[in-house]
Amino acid sequence: MPLVAGIDCGTGFTKALLASQTAPGKPLTVLGKGRVRSSVNVDQAATGALEEAMKAAGVDRRDITYIAATGFGRYGLSFRDIAITEITTAARGAFFLRQRPGPVLDVGSQCTRAIGVTDRGKVNTFKSNDKCAAGSGMFIARAAKYLNIALESVGELSLHAQHPQPISSICAVLAESEIINHVSAGVSVEDILRGIHESLAERAGAMLKRVGLGNDVMFIGGVARQQGMAEALRHKLGVQVTVPEDCDFVCALGAAVLGLQRSAVKN
Amino acid sequence: MRIGAGVDVGSTQTKAVLLADNAKIEVVARALIDTGANVRMAAQDAFEKCCQVAGVTPGDVGFVVGTGYGRYKISFGQAQLTEISCHARGAHFLCPGTRTVIDMGGQDAKAISVGSSGEVLDFVMNDKCAAGTGRFLSNAADVMGITLDEVGPLSLKATRPVKIATVCTVFVESDILSYLAQGKRAEDILGGVHLAIAKRTVSLARRVTIEPEISMTGGVARNPGMVYALEQVLGRSLLISPDAHFMGAVGAAIFALERIDQSFESTVLRGEHAASSGN
Repeated sequence: MPLVAGIDCGTGFTKALLASQTAPGKPLTVLGKGRVRSSVNVDQAATGALEEAMKAAGVDRRDITYIAATGFGRYGLSFRDIAITEITTAARGAFFLRQRPGPVLDVGSQCTRAIGVTDRGKVNTFKSNDKCAAGSGMFIARAAKYLNIALESVGELSLHAQHPQPISSICAVLAESEIINHVSAGVSVEDILRGIHESLAERAGAMLKRVGLGNDVMFIGGVARQQGMAEALRHKLGVQVTVPEDCDFVCALGAAVLGLQRSAVKN
Repeated sequence: MRIGAGVDVGSTQTKAVLLADNAKIEVVARALIDTGANVRMAAQDAFEKCCQVAGVTPGDVGFVVGTGYGRYKISFGQAQLTEISCHARGAHFLCPGTRTVIDMGGQDAKAISVGSSGEVLDFVMNDKCAAGTGRFLSNAADVMGITLDEVGPLSLKATRPVKIATVCTVFVESDILSYLAQGKRAEDILGGVHLAIAKRTVSLARRVTIEPEISMTGGVARNPGMVYALEQVLGRSLLISPDAHFMGAVGAAIFALERIDQSFESTVLRGEHAASSGN
């Protein structure tokens, strides 16, 4: 029985997912997941995430038959069998979850991507922020730092905004002054955070429109865990925005799906 | 002796300068403090510190011009001018012959095309991105665990500068970390970082015409690594005044002196006119 690991070496977090297939043609089963903060040593972070996933799945390292790496640090992973871009794995993971075509928005720590997915789960077209961190999770992480609140509570706080205050800076670094101005003008933390989410949603929306907005966007990546951001997207775009459970494991899942196919070919 | 003051309230630091017109015009006092959250206080403190240094009272100062991003928060200034006009005017005064100013401050990078009498012909600035600003460099220093004053001198010791593909402050942070993990020397990493920023700044400056002489102003002018990198990319040397960091305030003080002259002249002339019409 093939047991495949999909490891997504992201800029912020490294995610590992273990999946197996009892027989060809049978659906894939997710056995365990693990997530650790990424470090400059890709192998170390990936090992940590993988061990967490193995513990959850109750399997041994020797049981793993194939390892598919994806994400920014994929080429730094020495124990991989294959490296696949995170655009391909995002498309495939999203398609596996919803079994139909449509746009995918992936907002991670340093990257924002809009991906058009075909009816076979392949990448049709994509747009990405390759030159700067504007619109990425780092923008929110920095804002949370200036505001002195935990990143985990950002999404919930943003939902409770009364009068969102827009942020005009798109640079994650320059936004700091603007946020400080808002604070000194007495704007509530909730309204500042929602304003940030709306600014990011605006940028993401522009990318999505370039790949074809459709009427149902699947929103994945670590930032999708922030409810306020999903809400801001619905508000800005006027379309359905679906956030899957384990939204930050979608690329790892896609890597596992593709890894299974590859290992079947190999054997 | 007439004294004019210029107060440049920058995003990061507030600079104040007193300029005295006593046979010749010269800078008689400077003050530099962190802007912090209370912009009004910062401006007041810098101005008073300047008066102390010069041994004058605020009442001795004939005119105060405010500039910089916080200029409208200065309660005691009689006029406000943009930092673009002030940098152009200051550079024209301290580095005669200046036709292009490259100003790199705490949160902005600008290129200004200057006319023969110190007036602004054209300018461009980074309004969307922190690349090329002091913030970018202090971020890089933080990631490397060194002080901002160390980054420039260290970068000058680079022998094989690393490649930096993007100039986003956030992305460069990751680049630096992965280069450190690969065992690259801090000198070479910083050499690459300075070169990438210099290229970006020069391409910004090319949007106005770059004409000699070129002056560099703003706090980043104190960074010898950035000066060197800019000179490499431009292929010529830069004019850098010892007061480059204070250039906005110097320019503002020149405008202040002019305003004293104007009000002096208008009072005298009006008086004479009144006297002559009385006869």
